[in-house]
Amino acid sequence: MNPPQWRYWFAGALLVAVIIAALSFPGLRRQVNKAREITEKTAEQARRELLTPVLVNTGDPKVKVKMFWGSRSQQGTLDAVIAELPLSSDPVLRSKQVLNTLLAGPVDAELRTLPPDAALLAFYILPDGTGVADFSDELRTSIPSGIQSEQLAVESIVRTLETDVPQVLRLKILIHGQEADTLAGHLDLTQTFRVSARDLTGTKLDNPSPPASVLPAPIRKAVDTVRGVTKR
Amino acid sequence: MFGTLAAAALLSLAIARAASQQSPASSAAPAKVPAPSANASLVSSMQPTGLNVVVLDPAHGGTDPGARGTEGISESNEVLQFAWATKRALEAQGFQVLLTREGNDNPSFDDRSARANAQRGGVFITLHIASTGLSSTARVYVDPDSPAPPNTIGLIRWDRAQVPFLSLSRKLGDLVQQELAKRFKGSPNTLQTAPVRQLRTTAAPAIAVEISSVSVQNRAELENMAPGVAEAIARGVAAFRPLYVVPSNSAPGGSAQP
Repeated sequence: MNPPQWRYWFAGALLVAVIIAALSFPGLRRQVNKAREITEKTAEQARRELLTPVLVNTGDPKVKVKMFWGSRSQQGTLDAVIAELPLSSDPVLRSKQVLNTLLAGPVDAELRTLPPDAALLAFYILPDGTGVADFSDELRTSIPSGIQSEQLAVESIVRTLETDVPQVLRLKILIHGQEADTLAGHLDLTQTFRVSARDLTGTKLDNPSPPASVLPAPIRKAVDTVRGVTKR
Repeated sequence: MFGTLAAAALLSLAIARAASQQSPASSAAPAKVPAPSANASLVSSMQPTGLNVVVLDPAHGGTDPGARGTEGISESNEVLQFAWATKRALEAQGFQVLLTREGNDNPSFDDRSARANAQRGGVFITLHIASTGLSSTARVYVDPDSPAPPNTIGLIRWDRAQVPFLSLSRKLGDLVQQELAKRFKGSPNTLQTAPVRQLRTTAAPAIAVEISSVSVQNRAELENMAPGVAEAIARGVAAFRPLYVVPSNSAPGGSAQP
C-alpha cells in the first residue's frame, strides 16, 4: 500500500525549508555578529560619554603648551608644537585637557602618534606623583603595530605631560581599566614610565623609576584601587 | 614560601642547563622548555663562559599575525623567513642556533625567554617587521636602564632577568646596528632603547631587531632585505663573541666583563 500523498508534500516542504535555512545561515550569522559589534560600540560610547570630562573650559586662562606629535622632517622622532589653550590649574583636569588635545591630533593627520578613535577614559594622579591614564581599547587595537610606532605613542604622551603638567612624575597606562601586558604586542605596559627627572620633593633622580611591580605596597594598593574604580 | 619557590626555580634551571649540556640541542627539533611563572626567579650566579648559542625569536605567529601590510604581507610569516636566513648565516659563522618557533605557532613571551634562559653562553635576538618607518631600514633596540634588582641569596626575579645583562646587550646591539647601517641606508648608526616586553624576562644579552616595513608597495622589496639583515646580524654576533662573558651574580649590569 502506497503512503498517502500528503507525506510526500510534507517531506518535500521539509527539504525545501532545510535548504533555505542552510543558505540563509551565513547571512544570519553575519547579522548577529554585526548586532553584537553595534552593542559593544554603544557600550563603549556610553562609557566615554559618562567619563569624558568637558574638554576645555573657556573661562580658564589661556596658556602656551607643547604638544608632541610626529616630526615632519625626521621620521620616527617627535617634534614639539606650541599651542595656546585655556587650561585648568588643577593637574588632573589639566592632564585630561592636554591628553585630549594630543588625541585630537595635529593638523597633518600623518603626524599623529595616537589612533584617531582612541579616547582617554579616565585620568588620576596618585599621592606619589604617578599619573594613571586609562585609555579605550582603540589605543591598543588601532595603533600601527611595531616597536617604533608604539614607542612614539607612549613617548608623545610622556613628553607632553612632562612639559605641560609638572605634577605628574611617572605614568602608568591602563587599557579599559585593566593593566595590559603590551600596547600592541611590543611595548611593555606593566611598568610605569618616567615622566619627570625629579621626585615629589624636587630632588633630581639618578636612577630611572622602578617598574610598577616593585612599587611600594601602599602605592600598589592605590593603583589597584584605581583599577577597581575604573572597572565599575 | 619564597624559599620553596626559589629552590624550585633553581632546580628547574639546573635541570634545563644539565639537559642542554648532555645533549647539545639539535637546531632542527629543539626540546621545549617549560616557562616559569611570572613570579619565578632565576639563578644569576653563572661561571664565565664563551658565546656558544644564538636563540632567534621570530616574533608573533599563530593567531597573532603581527603587523599587516597592504599587499597581504603579515609580519609573522615574513619574520620567519628572515629568521631562517639569519640562522643559516649564523651557522656559517660556527654558532649553534635555536629558534623559538619554526612554524605558525605563538609561544608566550615567557616561553620564548625560557628558551634562552635555559642555555649556557647564549644570546637572544627577537626579530620584528614594523608597519611604519622608512622603507628598507632596520633598527636595533635594547631594554632601557633599570635599577639593579636586590641581590637575594644569588637569585634575581624572573621579570627583571635582563637587568644584569644590559651592558652586554648594549654592546651586542651596537655591533649589530653598525652592520645594519652599512647595508641599509637610512638606518640609524646607533642602537635605541625601548621597553620591549620580550627582552625584559631574558637572562642573556638580548636585542630586538625591527625592519621596516610591511607597508612596502612590493613584497620583493622587503624579502630582498633578508640576506643583508642575516649577514649583518651574523657579523655583529661574531664581533661580539670575544666580548662575551656571563656576568656573575654580584655584578648586575654586566660589570664583571673584562
